[in-house]
Amino acid sequence: MDPLSLANQTAFSGLFAQSLRMKVVAENIANAESTGSTPGADAYRRRTVSFTRAMNDVAGGVTAQTGIDMSSFDTKFMPSHKAADKNGYVKMPNVNSIVEMTDMRQALRSYEANLQVIRQNREMGNGLIDLLRQGG
Amino acid sequence: MVNLILNALSVAPMLKPALTLDHGAAKGENFASQFLDVLKQSETAAISGMQGQMPMQDVVMKVMEAERVFATAMAVRDKAVSAYLEMSRMQI
Repeated sequence: MDPLSLANQTAFSGLFAQSLRMKVVAENIANAESTGSTPGADAYRRRTVSFTRAMNDVAGGVTAQTGIDMSSFDTKFMPSHKAADKNGYVKMPNVNSIVEMTDMRQALRSYEANLQVIRQNREMGNGLIDLLRQGG
Repeated sequence: MVNLILNALSVAPMLKPALTLDHGAAKGENFASQFLDVLKQSETAAISGMQGQMPMQDVVMKVMEAERVFATAMAVRDKAVSAYLEMSRMQI
C-alpha cells in the first residue's frame, strides 16, 4: 500500500486516541465531585487511558484503552450528606484536578503533533501530484 | 456528482485505454471504477458523520483520501486529454 496513505492512517489513529483521552479527562473532571448515593457507598473512580500499538494493522497505528484507577478515596466529614457513613464521612472521588489538567494539556499537544503530521503528509502528496500536472 | 465525474473521466472513447490502467487485479477494476469506489466511501462517511455514527476523525480521513484520489484522477485525465488534443493537432 501507499506509504503516504498509511502514514495518514497512522496519524489519524493518533488523533482518535487523543480524542478518547480527552473524553476520559472530561469524564473525570465532570465527575470530580460525584459521590455514591447510599450511605458509605463508593464515589466515582477516576478513569485512566493507556495506549498500545495496533498490532494487527499494516499502518501501525495506536489504540487507546480505558481503565479504572483503583487508588483509595479521600474522605470528607459531611454528616448530612446522603452518602455519609455512620461516622459522618463521605467518600470523595480519587480525581485530582491538577493531574487532569496536565493530562488535558498533553492530549492537546499530542493532538496538534498528529495534525501537523497530517498537514505535512498532504503537502508531500500534493507535491507528487503536482509533478503529474506540470510538464503537460 | 459521481455521474458527472464518470462522464468527465470517459470524455472520449479514444481515451478509454489510457484511463483503464489495469492493476492486474482479478476483478479487472479500472482506474475510473476504483476512483468511484473511494468517492462513494467518502460520501457514505460524510453522511454517517453527520448522523453522528462515525468518529469525526474517520470522516475527515475518508474525505481527505477522496480529495487525494480526486486530484490524482484529474491530473491523469488532464494528461490524457492533452495527449488527445496533441494528436488532433498533428499534421496529416
